[in-house]
Amino acid sequence: MSETIPANSGYMVAAYIATAVILVSYAVLLYRRTRKP
Amino acid sequence: MEGGGAVGAVAEFVRHAWSVARKDLLVEFRSRTAILSAVVFTVLVLMVFNFGRDPTAVAAVDLAPSILWVTFTFAAMLALNRAFQLELENQALEGLLLAPISRGSIYLGKLLANLVFVGAVEAIGLPLFALFFNVRILPVILPLVAVIALATVGFVAVGTLFSAMTARTRFAELLLPVLLLPFMIPPLIWAVLTTASLLAGRPLSEAGGWLRLLAAFDILFVVLAFVLFPATVSE
Amino acid sequence: MRLLGAGRWITAVGLLLLAGVYVRALAFTPIERAQGLAQKIFYLHVPAAIWAEAAMVLVGLASIFYLFLKDPRLDRFAEASAEAGTVFAAIVLTTGPIWGKPIWGTWWSWDARLTLTLFLFLLYVGYLLLRSAVADPGARARYAAVLGICGMCLVPFIHFSVYMFRTLHPMPIVLKPSSPSLPGSMLATWLFSLGVFTLLYVGFVIQRYALSYLREQLEAAGEVGHV
Repeated sequence: MSETIPANSGYMVAAYIATAVILVSYAVLLYRRTRKP
Repeated sequence: MEGGGAVGAVAEFVRHAWSVARKDLLVEFRSRTAILSAVVFTVLVLMVFNFGRDPTAVAAVDLAPSILWVTFTFAAMLALNRAFQLELENQALEGLLLAPISRGSIYLGKLLANLVFVGAVEAIGLPLFALFFNVRILPVILPLVAVIALATVGFVAVGTLFSAMTARTRFAELLLPVLLLPFMIPPLIWAVLTTASLLAGRPLSEAGGWLRLLAAFDILFVVLAFVLFPATVSE
Repeated sequence: MRLLGAGRWITAVGLLLLAGVYVRALAFTPIERAQGLAQKIFYLHVPAAIWAEAAMVLVGLASIFYLFLKDPRLDRFAEASAEAGTVFAAIVLTTGPIWGKPIWGTWWSWDARLTLTLFLFLLYVGYLLLRSAVADPGARARYAAVLGICGMCLVPFIHFSVYMFRTLHPMPIVLKPSSPSLPGSMLATWLFSLGVFTLLYVGFVIQRYALSYLREQLEAAGEVGHV
């Protein structure tokens, strides 16, 4: 009854990277815009 | 005589709204360009739907509710785009605001005029739709007209409010659809579900939930738009 | 400006803790048997979705108070919340399909939550577009408030229409992504992530608010035109 766990780690990595990119990009954008409004 | 005073105030309010509506309707229907263009547009959209589908793949009857409602959605959008153009052209909005009538009655008058206009387009579009796609609407004509009326009130209530805001912006014809379409989709969903149910011969009671939601949407957004309209025209 | 400094600190701490969430979710949380590793997207996707929706409610509430009180601080907050909401909605709309592909077999499926978030995203974009299309600051704030209130009021109706539409048109699914009662360790990771997203929302909003304030000061001094 032991099924193998689906091999979909690639998707997990992609989603985690995408999220980090979006959040860090916005944070950087805000930082730069508030330095020179 | 407070009761009389209150009734008198409401009567005056309605009278003002009606005079605003009458003015708009007279202008639109006297020249007939607007209503004719809207009707022609509706016919053309129906044609696009006919030629836009693969006749061997899907029967018209399956797509019928969607065709009807997408057509009505775009026709309403077109009509609403001109809702405040009239005032814009001659800066008549300032004149309207200076008149001794409340902002609320301006909104109500605009709402009424838009409802009549869109209603007229739909009244012509519906039989044409039935003709082009061979849809038997007469057995369910009464509930069908009711759901069309309910959805239209929802479209026009929000559309009248938003067109007051977008009329003076630079890309008004683009901005109004962008702002308005998200608000048209829930009524569209309920209307499509109800229409599909009616055309499939299902009893009206099955559509009760959707009709109640349409009614709730209408009540909320008419009241909300009425309350918020002054913020769109005040200094 | 003190507020700006606070906002930057909060954001920085939030991003640092986000790294902590990543470590915990990836290395220290059990793998869900049915969905495999892709299930871990859940720890980012759902907190983002919660804040995408909460930000809209806050825009609406701030807008109501603005119309009554006419306090420009409320308008600045509404604008900031709308921008933050856009960012979180973007995360949901990116992670959603990435999660959906291995689980549902398809990138997009008009799933109720994804559809709702798409609506929210479009409402936010419309809100920001309206703001940029109106030159007069007073009218801009009033119009934005009107749209914000309408947007907030639309959200329950979206729930009622989109969920109904879906139950009548069931989508083919390979596995149903579910969030039933989470076992302890997973729940802890999820809560940690929710806390971090909250922190990031606060940090973003404070900074964006400060940006509006600074810009208004500069506009008043005639140094910068309306962007």
